[in-house]
Amino acid sequence: MAKQFAPKKGIGPGFWPVTVLLTALSVAWVVWLGRTDFATFLPEAAVPADQIDSLFKMLAQMGGVVFIFVFGFLIYLSFAYRVRSGDDVHAIGVQMHDAPSLELGFWIVPTIMVCFISWVSVQIWYGLQQSPGNALTVEAVGHQFFYDFRYPTLWKPVSQELHLPLNEPVTVKVTSSDVIHGFWAPEIRLKADMVPGLVNTLRFTPTRPGTYRIVCTEFCGVAHGSMIGKIVIEPKATFKSWLAAQAHAEGPAPVVAAAAPMVANATHPGGGSAAVAPVAQGDATAGKVVFAAHCSSCHSVGGFDEKLVGPGLGHLLNDPAHPALVTGEKASAAAIAHILHTGYTGPIGMMPNQQQNAISEADIANLTAYLVSLSK
Amino acid sequence: MAVAAPAHANYHDHIHPEPTNFVQKYIFSLDHKIIGIQYFITTFIFYCIAGLLAEVIRVQLLHPTGGFVSNEVYNQVYSVHGSAMVWLVIIPMLTGGFGNFVMPLMIGARDVAFPWLNMASFWMFPVAGALLFSSFLVGAPEAGWTEYPPISLQGPPGTSLWCMAIFLVGVSSTLTGINFLVTIMKMRAPGMTLTRMPLFVWAQLATAMLSMVATTALAGALLALFLERTFGVPFYDPSKGGSPLLWQHMFWFYSHPAVYIMILPAFGIVSEILPTFTRKPLFGYKAVAFSSVGIALVGFMVWAHHMFTSGMVPWLTLPFMILTFFVAVPTGVKVLAWIATLWGGRIRFTAAMLFSLGLIATFTLGGITGVFLAAVPADLHEHGTYFVVAHFHYVLFGGSVFGIFAGMYFWWPKMTGKLMSERLAVAHFWATFIGFNLTFFPMHWLGLMGMPRRVPIYDQQFQSLNVLASIGSFILALSTLLFFANVAYSLTKGKKASSDPWGARTLEWMISSPPPYYNFKKIPSVLALPYDFGEPLPYVGGDLIRPNPQSKFAGE
Ligand code: HEC
Ligand SMILES: [Cu+2]
Ligand SMILES: [Cu+2]
Repeated sequence: MAKQFAPKKGIGPGFWPVTVLLTALSVAWVVWLGRTDFATFLPEAAVPADQIDSLFKMLAQMGGVVFIFVFGFLIYLSFAYRVRSGDDVHAIGVQMHDAPSLELGFWIVPTIMVCFISWVSVQIWYGLQQSPGNALTVEAVGHQFFYDFRYPTLWKPVSQELHLPLNEPVTVKVTSSDVIHGFWAPEIRLKADMVPGLVNTLRFTPTRPGTYRIVCTEFCGVAHGSMIGKIVIEPKATFKSWLAAQAHAEGPAPVVAAAAPMVANATHPGGGSAAVAPVAQGDATAGKVVFAAHCSSCHSVGGFDEKLVGPGLGHLLNDPAHPALVTGEKASAAAIAHILHTGYTGPIGMMPNQQQNAISEADIANLTAYLVSLSK
Repeated sequence: MAVAAPAHANYHDHIHPEPTNFVQKYIFSLDHKIIGIQYFITTFIFYCIAGLLAEVIRVQLLHPTGGFVSNEVYNQVYSVHGSAMVWLVIIPMLTGGFGNFVMPLMIGARDVAFPWLNMASFWMFPVAGALLFSSFLVGAPEAGWTEYPPISLQGPPGTSLWCMAIFLVGVSSTLTGINFLVTIMKMRAPGMTLTRMPLFVWAQLATAMLSMVATTALAGALLALFLERTFGVPFYDPSKGGSPLLWQHMFWFYSHPAVYIMILPAFGIVSEILPTFTRKPLFGYKAVAFSSVGIALVGFMVWAHHMFTSGMVPWLTLPFMILTFFVAVPTGVKVLAWIATLWGGRIRFTAAMLFSLGLIATFTLGGITGVFLAAVPADLHEHGTYFVVAHFHYVLFGGSVFGIFAGMYFWWPKMTGKLMSERLAVAHFWATFIGFNLTFFPMHWLGLMGMPRRVPIYDQQFQSLNVLASIGSFILALSTLLFFANVAYSLTKGKKASSDPWGARTLEWMISSPPPYYNFKKIPSVLALPYDFGEPLPYVGGDLIRPNPQSKFAGE
């Protein structure tokens, strides 16, 4: 009969020293993490960010302790009870099936921890539900592949840049015009999916001026990776003048346009040469900026074949292989501007129209000038 | 099996003759052992393909602006990688592979309850694999393994092939679930009460229940997606009155339990290996057995923890959060029971044991980050980022795949009758363990600092950690070669394995390696749990090969 191996005395060699060591490590971890300010890794730019970080910190403290003990005992016990060379090959371990009090502990300790975590999480969750957010409400609409922001006082959306006044509670209502997008502001620690046909709400109070990212976290198509917007948090006065400037740039709200449905390509019979508005004199440098914000997710400035979603736009006027635009019109500044107004859906895909691209008349002039300049 | 045999009256004495022609014996076999091996061969081929796809992802992410493949190809690559690893590798390997080969032997049965069904379930796999991988020819699915509509409605034609492939896998795993459930409930050797079942069998039982119930929801969701893509039936498109969230609920109603389909059998494997290489019974058998069932039950009520940011009434997130937290209790009990098993053992660090210990360490980390993700306020930051990618790879690679390799090294001698090289196997473990942690640990940080998942390009600041992850993944890929080298070595030059090379005590080790056709000529009776080392084996009757207690241990 095989010999049963038994520890020399009590609970076995090194058990208590190891337990003390692991406890010390755990305490060190909890204290160190407790004194670490997460904002040094990633700024906390708005109010619930600090609460969310505090929950994360508590979870990391507890998780770290669990891991230290599990991993520590795993290593210690494996080494302490390993078969050493020269040991009896047929020896067996301690034939213990169970130790009811220890096993009870195995149920009780995790249960207590889980109850504690639930309690803290619910508290913080409750805090988030209480955040005020009624000072300013902004609508954020996700599109393939950019964000639009609608302010109560503007009739046209502002594209890609969400300006917010410092220390004013805001509500951001998010939705989408096409597929599901994500609205994540890492520095605010908040996120909501932008689901077509559904409005989700985020509430927070910006507390730190600066420019932060808005990142799309739901796969939304080929340019998902470059779907990144901006949050600009600025003092209230600066915000007000920005808002006023936006309103001014729009001019007076047109009586009909505000109510008009977003007509996409239906008005434009493909290839037909509808009356083309005269092209205002544009500024290529300004156009380049607009292009980076509105067009570069779908277009490169390389040759026609360097496609992202749409064709490359680097040689619209001087590509012998493509003398005409995709609409069939001969390539010209006016024809480009026309596409930018009306959009166009062809075999390659859907080119959004002016409203969908959220560009102004001035933007179109500037973009056209920029695209023409590329072909020189 | 040409003629139906009416004379099954005396089940125990009636043995069909072994088929003699090659096709019946090895291709359209009804033998659970051959079918199990067929699963292993197919799933390892799929594992290699899906692994190569993962390397494409890591090469692309070496550079912030990508450039290795186009955005479209990149999206297709990670979508097929995820789908294949979940449905064509981990699930079929753990249930179809290990479940088939090991479970009937462990309960002293001659085969599963429905051998024809078993064969049919297997043959759906190569077909599903062909469908999924051939989707690259027409444009593979692009929207990730979750294929959320509406974007998946616009996805390339291959998305429909994806629907069909996953539907087939679903049918197959539902059938396997039924088959295993009946087998375990009805075909255990006399004397093997439920509480005398080996823990791996408990895990298969819980898994079978999960597959049967959950997979039907997935099948329904897939059918609807297919109908909408093909015929425009508006289930999910909101512009036609459909609901995109409907898919998410159906999908996760399956896919959360699927996580347990992928992990419980791995837990079962560990629970067999630990007693063997500590030479002592598993601590708290009943707690471990019932915790599997507990996890399976609670696992059905937590699916919406994947949807905290999708949009639901705020208070509804709370029950999902709290129930998810409570999954940590039975899971924690298992981990603690494993650790307690080490105490007072005579531990041998075979490769199977190392992979099991590795699983305990890495899975624990994955479980802890799971709690981070379940906490609603924290999830608002973490959802959809690389933190999630890190979490589920710790669970599915650090848990399931480590379990798979542990099981492979453990039962390989039983399957083939040959030993593997332990040295090579131990090298494989260390390379895998290091490569794995190097690949996935940095991803926690990447996600928390702002890197979303499913992107072909990323912000400059994330480059160094991405490069580190990619280097880790190259090590991981190379480590797999060590495994295949070992397979080749064992099959050609490997030493012959005895019936019980590890000194284990469950029934599959009491017959020759590889086991004879029909396993047990006479079915033994079971007197007790198998794990009491030092006691006489708890089996009477049968034609068992009782291992010589003085025989040398294969791992030395
Ligand atoms: C959602 C993606 C998308 C965005 C954003 C987008 N486009 Fe396009 N664009 C397309 C597609 C697709 C086509 C090709 C349509 C077709 O022929 O099928 C196209 C075509 C064009 C063409 C015609 C090219 C040719 O060779 O005939 C021009 C010019 C153009 N876009 C300019 C712009 C500008 C300027 C912007 C920024 C305001 C912009 N696009 C934004 C997708 C987009
Ligand atoms: Cu996106
Ligand atoms: Cu889940």
